[in-house]
Amino acid sequence: MPVNLAREIEVYEGQIELKKQGKIEDKLFGEARLRRGAYGQRYDNGQRHDGITHRSLPFPTQASKGTETMWDAPGMQRIKIPFGGLNPDQMDVLADVAEEYSDAVCHITTRQDVQLHYVHIEDTPDLMRRLASAGITTREACGNAVRNVTACSIAGVCRCEAFDTTPYAKAMAYHLLGHPDTQDMGRKFKVAFSGCKTSSCGLTNIHDLGFIAKTWQSNGATHRGFEVVIGGGLGAVPYDAQLFDATVPEEEILPLAQATCRVFARLGEKRNRGRARLKFLIEKIGVEEFRRRVLEERKVLRPDPRWTDYLKDVERYHEAPAKASSNLDLATLDPELEAWRTTNVYAQRQAGYVAATVTLPLGDITSWQMRRLADVARRYVGDNVRTTVEQNLILRWVSEADLPALYAELKRLDLALGGAGKIEDVVSCPGTDTCKLGIAASRGLAAELHERLVERQKRGEIDPAVRDMHIKTSGCFNSCGHHHLADIGFYGVSRKVGGATVPHFRVLMGGEWANNGATYGLTIGAVPSKRIPEFIDHVTQRYLAGRRPGERFKDFVGRIGKKALKEMVDVFSSVPPYALDRTLYSDWRDPREFTISDITTGECAGEVVPQIEFDLQAAEQRNFEAQVHLEQNEFQKADEAAYQSMLIAAKGLVRTQLWDLGDDPDRIVAEFKTRFYDTQLFQSPDAGQYSGGKFALYMLNRHADVDRAFAPDKARHLVEEAQLFIEAAYGYYQRMSEPRAQAKTKAAVDLPEMAEAAI
Amino acid sequence: MDLHKFGIKFFAASADGIDILKLIPIYHRWIQHSALEDLLIDVADYSHVPAGPGVMLIAHEGNYALDETGHERGVVYYSKQRLAGELPERLARVARRALKAAQLMSEDAELDGALRVPGNRLEFYANDRLAAPNTDAAYAELEPALKAFLDRLYAGARYTLAREVDPKERLTVRVEAEGDVPLEALLARVA
Repeated sequence: MPVNLAREIEVYEGQIELKKQGKIEDKLFGEARLRRGAYGQRYDNGQRHDGITHRSLPFPTQASKGTETMWDAPGMQRIKIPFGGLNPDQMDVLADVAEEYSDAVCHITTRQDVQLHYVHIEDTPDLMRRLASAGITTREACGNAVRNVTACSIAGVCRCEAFDTTPYAKAMAYHLLGHPDTQDMGRKFKVAFSGCKTSSCGLTNIHDLGFIAKTWQSNGATHRGFEVVIGGGLGAVPYDAQLFDATVPEEEILPLAQATCRVFARLGEKRNRGRARLKFLIEKIGVEEFRRRVLEERKVLRPDPRWTDYLKDVERYHEAPAKASSNLDLATLDPELEAWRTTNVYAQRQAGYVAATVTLPLGDITSWQMRRLADVARRYVGDNVRTTVEQNLILRWVSEADLPALYAELKRLDLALGGAGKIEDVVSCPGTDTCKLGIAASRGLAAELHERLVERQKRGEIDPAVRDMHIKTSGCFNSCGHHHLADIGFYGVSRKVGGATVPHFRVLMGGEWANNGATYGLTIGAVPSKRIPEFIDHVTQRYLAGRRPGERFKDFVGRIGKKALKEMVDVFSSVPPYALDRTLYSDWRDPREFTISDITTGECAGEVVPQIEFDLQAAEQRNFEAQVHLEQNEFQKADEAAYQSMLIAAKGLVRTQLWDLGDDPDRIVAEFKTRFYDTQLFQSPDAGQYSGGKFALYMLNRHADVDRAFAPDKARHLVEEAQLFIEAAYGYYQRMSEPRAQAKTKAAVDLPEMAEAAI
Repeated sequence: MDLHKFGIKFFAASADGIDILKLIPIYHRWIQHSALEDLLIDVADYSHVPAGPGVMLIAHEGNYALDETGHERGVVYYSKQRLAGELPERLARVARRALKAAQLMSEDAELDGALRVPGNRLEFYANDRLAAPNTDAAYAELEPALKAFLDRLYAGARYTLAREVDPKERLTVRVEAEGDVPLEALLARVA
């Protein structure tokens, strides 16, 4: 396991221990947990409506792991898979941890992540260690952080891409992971890479920061770079990404992303969670002003060799197929295999190789299947597996003549379902199954539609034009199921009918999956959840009857107009009285009488916790480790850890004024002395028990003691002194934040001046 | 062996005809009536996954399911928390939960007698590779406790053990005892 990953997990485990001892407040632990990908799940506030009444879930302890989140309640673990890239060893580990800590199912998300549900917080450190041993991190999978960096799942094998974006996406993911410039954002930040403008795989239009590969000629040489778009996003109000720069050279993408994160962290909304995404900031100040500020910020970034070092990795990047290329005589294929090949196999640009999609119903694959699929991957494709934003897996670099054998293997694993990317391949977010924000059962609906459509397809009842359509469902307006990008999209809502609540889905039509998700669907109206299958039948029949030759559904929808679409929806909007038929008063695959009372505060946004709070907590953690060393008679280690804990706290304080501080102890101490000790800020006369400057001297003196002779007594004293120094730092932070908090409540929602943190 | 996370599945003799979605309202009813000794939380529907965990009943202490892994249906219970007692006693506690669920399912009017669990075929899964990897050494450590539990469960009747040999799979032991044993009798032995 990489040392840094091991250390991060140790720190997280320490935070769990401190939380159990009541030494970390809910808000801070909640955000720390989210930044490790450990997310809340429905009913984790200890309340659940069982269909008759609201009940408290009497968990063994009343402890919490965040605001209104019970310690014992099972949660969701999100696992980052940058650009969706997986190798068989990683698949094995994912299978194992899903089996042992979750419910033996790996769920592929629309961000190419893997999610596990019903995970207990106490199990998460071991789970994370096992993932780390295979090079997988959960860091910043949730919370106000840079989320998983996505990329086309066929990058590198695509026939229309400018070049392979894989090594760029990888470099971006690891550059921004844990980067100081991404730690203080008011909301999540999503980055995507696309190899071209015309396909859908990258979905750059819906991202905060999107990179579209391009090449150009200059001075007789071919140069690589990206068209960069910013400020896109779905959610309740979808925004198209806007052009930031038509041509950004490859050596500029990392600093540009860094500068963008800095400006977002500084200027983005942090109080109103519903307006905190980058798209709202850009709307507020305009893309021109945002661009100006980012470019200004770019100029003052401290140069980092990693900005260009990664280009060596780009040059070296190579995917090794497991087998030599070969050709297949398509005329000899049996009809079943041919049907699967037609929808699930993509001819790579490398002759004799194909990429095969493993269709996963609702994005789910069991541990047993994942483990066996890893073996299949070893035999046929090596390390070349990817997750997709359509919640499937792709095996790349299949030698074409192996297709019949591969198909037989997949069939043995119940993984040979066809229809990848077709109408029956319904995408869904977790919805009310597990999400705290879910309004309606998007997975229940998706499962129902998937099964019906698969059966119809088997009977040959689906017209090819209809089969090319996409259906995507979300449990609420937040659009985790990408409903805006579907030909027919749905998101959960509720309606009151005669005093009872009825699950509905709001219908969107005419969204575009192609062109990086270029067009968002039109919202038409709401249909009761249970009537949606017949509604889809009606709409698709109208499409087939009324379409012009070759006309796509999106164009049909645009042509017939919203009024005609509304009429179609209205046909299905009626709900019989409860006394007459109760069927519509419950949701798909959930017989409980429908209620929205189980919805609680989502953790998607996380809490806005200033970076200083994390720093002070980290300092405390380090000093706790110093105490452990003392107990084990490791006096030098104890002394050094105590000293480091003071440096961490001092650095945290300095960074409230000087963001670009770096890690040099001399500089940290010098800046601390100048800004906090010499100014007497640290020893403010109204600071009660921490009023003396002596606590600052503990740190200054220890730092000056360069030829320190380590001794047990000195170590013991220093651990005590470090604790006092950290407490004094907390004291200063409280004094600093109280007036600021008061001022904030009085302030208008104006943007803070750039100068505030650009010192 | 400090093993607390493990599962026991009692195979069904006749369950292929059951529409597994029928379990959803059954589980919700169990939650409403606190029909099992665990703290029942929610229902997880994986019926769309072939040969998967089927429809699960999630509890704080463990998970229940009419499991379909390997296309062999059976009632399984997986413990997720630390259990009291020595390992044979812990095995009995887990078996009792699986058997109770099997009994309730078998008697449920919604399933109309379609589920029969003879009780003489079960599979044990050590669901914790850190505590009990699928190795000869771990099996040697497990076997006495497992046999002590099985002696109690089958009251001296003969049974055979077959261990899963694939090292990537969990430490798994398939048990087959002679003849059908009514669930009530088995439940009484592990009470």
